[in-house]
Amino acid sequence: MADGIRISFSDVAKRYDLRVVFRSVSGEAVPGEVLVITGPNGSGKSTLLSILCGLLRPTRGEVTYQRDGRIVERDAWRHYLGVVAPAMAVYEELDAMENLRFFARVRGMGPFEERCRECLDLVGLDPGRRTLVRGYSTGMAQRLKIAQAVLHDPPLLLLDEPGSNLDPAGKDWLEDYVGGLRAAGKTVVLATNDRREMEWGASHVALAG
Amino acid sequence: MWRWLAEAMAVTAKDLRTEFRTRVAINSLGLFALTVLAAVSYTVGPYRIAAEDRPFLLAVLLWIVIFFAALAGLDRSFVKEEESHTAPLLRLAASPSAVWFGKLVFNLLVIYMLMAILVPLYCILMGYTILMVWEFVLILALGGYALAVITTIVAAIIARALTRGALFSVLSLPLLLPLMIFLIQGTAGVAEGSPEIVSSTVRAVLSMGGIMTIVSAALFPVVWSD
Repeated sequence: MADGIRISFSDVAKRYDLRVVFRSVSGEAVPGEVLVITGPNGSGKSTLLSILCGLLRPTRGEVTYQRDGRIVERDAWRHYLGVVAPAMAVYEELDAMENLRFFARVRGMGPFEERCRECLDLVGLDPGRRTLVRGYSTGMAQRLKIAQAVLHDPPLLLLDEPGSNLDPAGKDWLEDYVGGLRAAGKTVVLATNDRREMEWGASHVALAG
Repeated sequence: MWRWLAEAMAVTAKDLRTEFRTRVAINSLGLFALTVLAAVSYTVGPYRIAAEDRPFLLAVLLWIVIFFAALAGLDRSFVKEEESHTAPLLRLAASPSAVWFGKLVFNLLVIYMLMAILVPLYCILMGYTILMVWEFVLILALGGYALAVITTIVAAIIARALTRGALFSVLSLPLLLPLMIFLIQGTAGVAEGSPEIVSSTVRAVLSMGGIMTIVSAALFPVVWSD
């Protein structure tokens, strides 16, 4: 999928009953750029990412995906994005390859066996390892979540604290990888409080606490 | 169409694989069914019901065991996705209709597995004689399908609720009660050898299963998405 996705959101607000998560947030991420979303704990970074990927509807405001200048329908967003987030888990009762095979099948990917192995190699997991994910360390599970997100080579990646639980070598790899994604013209939205990760992108959206 | 079917079957295969590794739903259904069956066969047994009452009363007991066993475990396919936080990635990866159909097939297979073990055991232990065996199998198959359709959509609805434990039975029972009445009448009909009752039951259960399939297919994308 070579064509990039431009994602823009304007005047987005989210409220649960009486609790206001954020009032009015706007921003835009374009192909070849990393948009960094920052803010203290509870400021709504993860909620905003859930809205941007279509899992939540905003109370107010609008999110738009554009591909080649054309608006992408909300129902089709999922075809163009990969997401890594703490609140989104892979299946603990499956091993890494079984997880990726499952996601490849439900995404309707063609021959996927080689691609699954590539993705596990990419994140430093052994494709031949049959250990179920429930036996993984949190860092290994995070690596598998990253492999799942990039499996279908999406033009848009939404990353919520992607470096959490990774060891220093893993964080170095992730920094290089995100740099590679940017160079390849992918659109990346990154929600983080990590000072090092904040420097990966030039555009920032700061959420108030 | 084939691609959609392959996606749905991937959901079914994943659910079967994870279920056989954890056995949460199968244990819930199986243990409930076998415990009730043991209790019923021990307390009522094959000879404590008058011969003329046997076709109807044994049909009542059979469907009570099947329905309540189903209520004990068939919500797991959706509840587990929410509890283990795998639902968001599934929402992003798979089309809603493929998820619905995949989960429906999974629930259907679990019900049929339960019936395959429970019904012969019940008939042997309770001495339940069926005069129209193939019609009995048809009623079981249709009843199992309608039961799977109803429990699948109710499970999807309650999976996102906070008080999901009690809600599944509360929401399912009003939908399942008419089905249960039809199936009891039909089962009594096959035990007595009454073709008229059997054909009216088949029509009623087919209609109910068909209507619930259409309603569920239309409702599920709304329930599944926020």
